Amino acid sequence: MNFDFNVLTIHYPAVLDGLLVTLRICLFSLLFGVIDAVFLCLGKLSGRGAGYRVSVFVVDFFRTIPEVVLIFWIYSCLPLLFGARLSAEISGILALSLLVAANVAEIMRAGVQSTNPGQLEAAMSLGIPAHTIWLRIVIPPALQRMSPAFVNFLTELIKATSLLSTIGVAEMVYQANVLGNRTFAYVEFLTLVAAIYFALIFPLSLFVRRAEARLVAQKCR
Amino acid sequence: MTDKEVVIDCRNVVKTYGSFTALNDVSTSIHRGEVVCVVGPSGSGKSTLLRTCNGLETIQGGTIEVLGQHMPGTRKELETIRRRAGMVFQSFNLFDHMSIRENLVLAPITTLGLDRSTADQRAQDSLDRVGIGNQIDKYPNQLSGGQQQRVAIARALMMQPEVMLFDEPTSALDPEMVGEVLDVMRDLAAQGMTMAVVTHEMGFAREVGDRILFMADGQILVDQPPDTFFTIPTDERLTTFLSKVL
Ligand SMILES: Nc1ncnc2c1ncn2[C@@H]1O[C@H](COP(=O)(O)OP(=O)(O)OP(=O)(O)O)[C@@H](O)[C@H]1O
Ligand SMILES: [Mg+2]
Repeated sequence: MNFDFNVLTIHYPAVLDGLLVTLRICLFSLLFGVIDAVFLCLGKLSGRGAGYRVSVFVVDFFRTIPEVVLIFWIYSCLPLLFGARLSAEISGILALSLLVAANVAEIMRAGVQSTNPGQLEAAMSLGIPAHTIWLRIVIPPALQRMSPAFVNFLTELIKATSLLSTIGVAEMVYQANVLGNRTFAYVEFLTLVAAIYFALIFPLSLFVRRAEARLVAQKCR
Repeated sequence: MTDKEVVIDCRNVVKTYGSFTALNDVSTSIHRGEVVCVVGPSGSGKSTLLRTCNGLETIQGGTIEVLGQHMPGTRKELETIRRRAGMVFQSFNLFDHMSIRENLVLAPITTLGLDRSTADQRAQDSLDRVGIGNQIDKYPNQLSGGQQQRVAIARALMMQPEVMLFDEPTSALDPEMVGEVLDVMRDLAAQGMTMAVVTHEMGFAREVGDRILFMADGQILVDQPPDTFFTIPTDERLTTFLSKVL
């Protein structure tokens, strides 16, 4: 079998369209998911009450069910519940937003809770008001500490978008399959898609490795 | 001393953790300009007493007044009192992600409304006062333990506090660094700062303290000036304690 570059040079714009959809889905699920994550994180940090219990349930639920199940469920069950059919892409963004919300909430919580309690007491003993303590003492180091976990999750999210091909979202893997069906050049298109995923994700993995090493070095100093 | 203004006044303070009583009916007061050292075995409630005076612990009985203000008061009142009463911890608790300068100017700029240049100047003065004026642009993890603790003291001084609470400021330090921190505290005392110092440094307590409190089991068993505290044992447990630490 020969690797046919020709078919790629002809059809690559469709793959790029798919890439665009992949990136768009990532962007919107991050946007909506991170906003939700902030509330879920605050709910979990509150430690008790209804907000706490709801947050714990939501986070645990969406972190435990497999992504594919979540995607199918949103795509096929929501219309039954509400009567209106959502487009495949909107369903996908909704499903992945929930995935982002649950996972990022947990990453944020870990980052905030690793705040040195002694530094909090020192800040309080200086009479610094709570909102300034959050902005200046808690959040900056928490962001730094959670950046590896966050970017790591981002790589998971990019991979998870490929699952949306199963409900017919025209992202990269879907496009590769369609083009493969049309031209029988499955190998070529899947190889191209794999290369694009690698180009997207590998730099992020490198960042995670570096950031983790930096954090370890800071702790040891 | 007793004709001076009362800076900290504890009346029948009770602090419990669940069924455990950490402070059992503690009463004492500290007057302006006084240096009161607190000693006693581990777990006797020394830290707890200090922390209640800064509103870091709530109390279950009795009253505490700091600088005439009933503790803890409203959130605003508590913040105001904390700006007037500095606290130094055993573990320094510097803000690791900020330079020494940022550590020092954060509270005065955000709470006292100091402008940047005034705050910077005050930061330089405070660091000079604790002998590390040349370290202002370093980060906490670039300093030795003794230097970090002196930064913590300088950070508290930035608020120009009327009283300072020290909770075992030298216990986390390597022996060769204890002296430099005690020197700074000795200077503060000589300049008339009102101080409450929990310490295991008996030499410092004897030399600098106006009064020494001996605590055990959540109570103040002895409250004496240094000359009688060490020489005329009034309490059996103090005698045992002193025989161990001296
Ligand atoms: N958050 C807490 N929960 C439960 N018990 C506590 C808590 N904090 C302190 N205690 C208990 O209260 C008692 C007094 O503690 P405290 O820290 O005041 O002792 P200390 O005299 O400062 O001892 P050390 O010399 O070891 O610092 C101890 O028995 C301790 O176990
Ligand atoms: Mg203690």
